[in-house]
Amino acid sequence: MNQNPPVLRYVRYDSARENEYVAAMRQLISKDLSEPYSIYVYRYFLYQWGDLCFLAMDEKDEMVGVVVSKLEPHRGGALRGYIAMLAVREEFRGQGIATKLVRMAIDAMIERDADEIVLETEITNTGAMKLYERLGFLRSKRLHRYYLNGNSAYRLVLYLKEGVSAIRTAFDPFAPPHPTHMEAPTVPVGNTPGNGVI
Amino acid sequence: MLPNNEVRLPPPRAARAAQSAAVPCDITTQFTEAASKLKTGQLVKDELFTLFEAVGALEIMDSKMDSGYIAPGENHVQALEDDYDVRQPLTPKQVVGLMDQLLCHEMAWHMGHPLSQTLFTSIYLDKLLWPVPKTMEDARFDRVPSESPLISLVLRAYCLALVKACDFVHARIVTEYYYEEEDFVSQLYNRNLLSGLDPSHFFRLLDQAVEWVDSQETMDQDLRDALRCRLLLRHEFLSALDEDLEVLDTRSTDNFVSCLSTLSGITETVAHGTPVPEAFSLKIQRRLASTVPPRPIVHISPEDALAHLKRLCQDAIDMQQMLDYKGPSNFKTAIWSLLSRKPQPSVYIRCLLQALIVSDMTILGAVPVKQFLYDDLAELVLPSSVLLQANTDEVELPSDPRFQIAQKMEGFVKRFSQPFVDTVRAACLNRCRIRRTVCHTVVDWDNLQMEAEELDLDLQRLSDEPPLQMKGGETTFSFPLSSWAYNQKLIQIRRIIQMGFELSIYAPEELAGMYWYLSYICSTHLGHLDRIRTFTVAARKRDLISAGDRSADSQKSAAFHRSFRTLERVTTQLIAVDAFAIALHALYVLLTRHEVLPCAAGADAYSTDRLRYELRMKPFIPISLPELVPFEEFQRESALEGDSDAIILERASKAITEARKAWDVLLSQGAFLEEAGSGSGSGSAGGKEFPSAIEEDWKRDVKDAMRACIGASISIETVRKALGNNPSPSAQQPLNLEVTIPEIGSKSRWHEWWVVPQVSEKKNQ
Repeated sequence: MNQNPPVLRYVRYDSARENEYVAAMRQLISKDLSEPYSIYVYRYFLYQWGDLCFLAMDEKDEMVGVVVSKLEPHRGGALRGYIAMLAVREEFRGQGIATKLVRMAIDAMIERDADEIVLETEITNTGAMKLYERLGFLRSKRLHRYYLNGNSAYRLVLYLKEGVSAIRTAFDPFAPPHPTHMEAPTVPVGNTPGNGVI
Repeated sequence: MLPNNEVRLPPPRAARAAQSAAVPCDITTQFTEAASKLKTGQLVKDELFTLFEAVGALEIMDSKMDSGYIAPGENHVQALEDDYDVRQPLTPKQVVGLMDQLLCHEMAWHMGHPLSQTLFTSIYLDKLLWPVPKTMEDARFDRVPSESPLISLVLRAYCLALVKACDFVHARIVTEYYYEEEDFVSQLYNRNLLSGLDPSHFFRLLDQAVEWVDSQETMDQDLRDALRCRLLLRHEFLSALDEDLEVLDTRSTDNFVSCLSTLSGITETVAHGTPVPEAFSLKIQRRLASTVPPRPIVHISPEDALAHLKRLCQDAIDMQQMLDYKGPSNFKTAIWSLLSRKPQPSVYIRCLLQALIVSDMTILGAVPVKQFLYDDLAELVLPSSVLLQANTDEVELPSDPRFQIAQKMEGFVKRFSQPFVDTVRAACLNRCRIRRTVCHTVVDWDNLQMEAEELDLDLQRLSDEPPLQMKGGETTFSFPLSSWAYNQKLIQIRRIIQMGFELSIYAPEELAGMYWYLSYICSTHLGHLDRIRTFTVAARKRDLISAGDRSADSQKSAAFHRSFRTLERVTTQLIAVDAFAIALHALYVLLTRHEVLPCAAGADAYSTDRLRYELRMKPFIPISLPELVPFEEFQRESALEGDSDAIILERASKAITEARKAWDVLLSQGAFLEEAGSGSGSGSAGGKEFPSAIEEDWKRDVKDAMRACIGASISIETVRKALGNNPSPSAQQPLNLEVTIPEIGSKSRWHEWWVVPQVSEKKNQ
């Protein structure tokens, strides 16, 4: 246990400081990944939902934690938040930093009228699972070999409003023909094992 | 975490159409002007640029993403080419080692890893397969073959037969339903697995290689044996895979049995081999046609590889025991039991089984799907019914009701065959996908039930069905087709709940509610079976009254007998599940009530019980029957509000005693329904053997459930004792109990579907 827990500042992502922030968060997140996300993944989230990204900075203004998320209607239906990435520097773990960051993201989504929040986490990442379940997330399904390191994942879901499950998704003329569940998927386009990073 | 993998993301919607009429024009000026207004580094996002594309993007010149990246100072040739010489002499020990390394890679591929990280890291295989060989002679390590037959004959024969085996496996898997990257990676990177070459060439080559090995009198006997059994494995495995669906005709397990016998020889001689790690290289990935980043070589141990292959062979052998069709319920039981083996049968076996279950609308290569559907209807709801006998061949007058019945039934077959077969076939998916698939199909079956109800009304009229007076006084009809569909749906709902336990979906605090819900579904189902039975009994009575022709009657009698037996078996099973669920529900209520159950959600969680209930019931919300239990009712019922601890304890004890009895009865009934008149005792029906290996799986499963029952009894007694010592526990004086929920795979989790809490007295207090 740390005798003097460092004083941390929790801030919202600021696009004016993109160069500095993105580099730091990439480093933080890539550390635990066998394969990094491309810069476009970060830009995709930050450009559109920078206000749903929160950072924990130490006294020296170095980044020790980050949460990246998005919020948009799910197939034209419920307003769905998605927590895409969460990472805390190893030596700072166990102090509730990740929980604080996730709470900030959830609160920001609630403020923006989110109906539900979803995410995936590797089943071996018990730290992450405990964190989200403590916050009220439930496992909704298990995803077989979701990450390319061969590990499976759980989809975790948090409903924020009643009646979310009844919100109908819009008709999608480009969606695959029904029923899809017994259809063999098509072309292989492999990619990465993403580790949960807490 | 976000998957760094496009396959896992919803694909982008198709690019907006209406581009066909586009006329190209020069926009250089506009582009330059627009670009000049941007600051350096300013980001512009195209509306159609999706997360899918972002995740699929690679950064060129980043060594972790760009497989073609050559670092500054790195020699171009060295970066791409290995200087491993495939003509270099190898010792027999090294060849044995190489063969085992290749087998590990082959099995890693079977387990779902891509070729680029497994077999295609072998320099020998790379040389064999590139450039793509057109003949057997083309498929060699080098233009000038090694002078050592150990390499040019023995190792080459091994490698070629291995590649051909992969070709058969690949061909079978990709023609069936499987999930890319979850179950298997089908990517071949523009290589060809010698699919155009006839297997006979490979067998001949293997024979020559074995002959050569046998003639090496100077070679150490152990090594000769080691090489020999490896070549034999290739021979037998290739024969086994070559057989594929022909097994329906040959009914032979010989090839897989021979495979198993060579495997023990291989296991014993693994230690004789010396691995040659330098014969495998990641550099080959740079030349494979693919857009994925460089990925590490996958290493699995020879023990794991051999164990995987052994299981594959054993599953294939046991699978053949179920190729004789013995009625729908036996068929379904055999499939579900075989596929519920732990670990789950490999993707190859699951795909082969899919093809055997149904190909060209024929079950097991012998029974038309319509027959299968009719047999199932006859077993459950329509023994010896005119509905299943009517056909338009015998009655050609369109005004005849029998003609119209036949027409209606044709429509039913058309609509229901595929979904019905899919309910059986879904068992071949990976376990996670089974649950997800059933969550979808259960909604389809809700609609199917409604359609069946429409048909039932028509058929009722056409067949002039007499109504029955129920206890309440109201008259009602049998509604056989929709009753049958409802039965399917109830099975699926139960499966969703039970697979939720298996996949560890539920948090500890949800277990009381989920076992309550399971028991609710079971009792609904039992009520439904009672209704069906009532109508079958009535039909039988009518039948006996109007009995005429005696020979026809013995057939009818057999059909009714089989149907009653089926209903009885399903009832026994449901009673067993129901009683056990009631007991666990009661036990969990006590543990929850006295706050000794671990809880995943914190006190300051965002969700509420109501929201969590809604989320958990999501798969069932669109379903009209059974109606969703309103939250208030669920909360009241699942918490056993108003019942004292003593009452709940009594309930738990009684239910677990009943459960133990019911599981015992179930076990004594055996896995399979025997044909009428075949006598008692398991093993044979109509002269054909029942699948004994699969019956063993089924028995093991029941016995595991019985063990779980005993575990639950003990936990209930521990709670009783603790409550005896502390009859009014409070926050100040809590129950002196420690509770853990055993994880899947741990010793005290006797059965995946039965989460029995480990309850023990707290030691130091």
